[in-house]
Amino acid sequence: MSVDRAAARQGVIDALPLFVPAIPFALVIGLAITESGMNPFVGWSGAWLIFGGAAQLTLVTLLGTGVAVAAAVGTALVVNARHLMYSAALAPTFQSQPRWFRWLGPYLLIDQLFALTTVRAPDEDPDSFRSYYLAAGATFWALWLTVVAFGLLLGPVVPEGWNLEFAIPILFIGLLVLGIEHWPEMVAALAGAGVTYLAAGLPNRTGLLVGAFFGMIAGFAAERLRRE
Amino acid sequence: MSDFLATVVVGLGTYVFRAVFIVVLAKRRIPEVVLVALKYVGPAVLGALIVALLTDPEGNVQIGVPEVSAFVAGGFVAHRTRSHIWTLFAGMVVYWVVRALV
Repeated sequence: MSVDRAAARQGVIDALPLFVPAIPFALVIGLAITESGMNPFVGWSGAWLIFGGAAQLTLVTLLGTGVAVAAAVGTALVVNARHLMYSAALAPTFQSQPRWFRWLGPYLLIDQLFALTTVRAPDEDPDSFRSYYLAAGATFWALWLTVVAFGLLLGPVVPEGWNLEFAIPILFIGLLVLGIEHWPEMVAALAGAGVTYLAAGLPNRTGLLVGAFFGMIAGFAAERLRRE
Repeated sequence: MSDFLATVVVGLGTYVFRAVFIVVLAKRRIPEVVLVALKYVGPAVLGALIVALLTDPEGNVQIGVPEVSAFVAGGFVAHRTRSHIWTLFAGMVVYWVVRALV
């Protein structure tokens, strides 16, 4: 077991361009923490406790709008459920890795790192894979914590009248559009939005979970139709 | 304090999602039905979240011409550029301009 310096260097080099699109995301999270009125340090801690932008942004904004804590936590977890797929996809590659890395590696497994590592050869030398994975993951981690902190500093400086909190739904629209490959995903999104709209009056904003659930069912049904 | 606890729970849950197959279930496969359903969790939740973010504490959805214009512009730019930076820029500029006009 040793460090492959060339692979590690490549990991850092590959991580940098992929981090650029995450910068506005991290800044908006910093602003959302300020907006939500939660303790700034607690809000920032989410950057390393969760280490996942969409779930953290979901949690912070929902806690700030007075949703029941359980509903906010549940929604944020549902947002991150896609990581189950990443875990399953990389499990074979991790079989040849030492135990400590099988425990530590998943902590760093964000969308970008999955995208980078899943395209590497499955029979790659385990030392090279590990060096690459850790170097790229640590690069994302260090940059992410820094830029979220920067967003927190920026939050109080931005004038109220700009309504910068509207950047959050716009970011979600962007994520949504980038995630749509076939029409059933569009059906899921529209059904999720529509049912949430109809259920908006439910107590503690549980309409959100109801909408997400029906959206998923609608997408699932649409996929069945597409296959027939 | 409950904010911190909520963050810890989401952090732990996220770690479990990322680790479960790598650490314990490496030989197991996810059933096809679950894989298909998981694909639609993301779009469904995002659609629901966008509406939830525009809902005021009384349960009324506050969506007007500036918001819809910004969503259309942001969605279009996201589709064309695949870039969060340009999406954010286009969405916010359209939002500010339309809000000033109507």
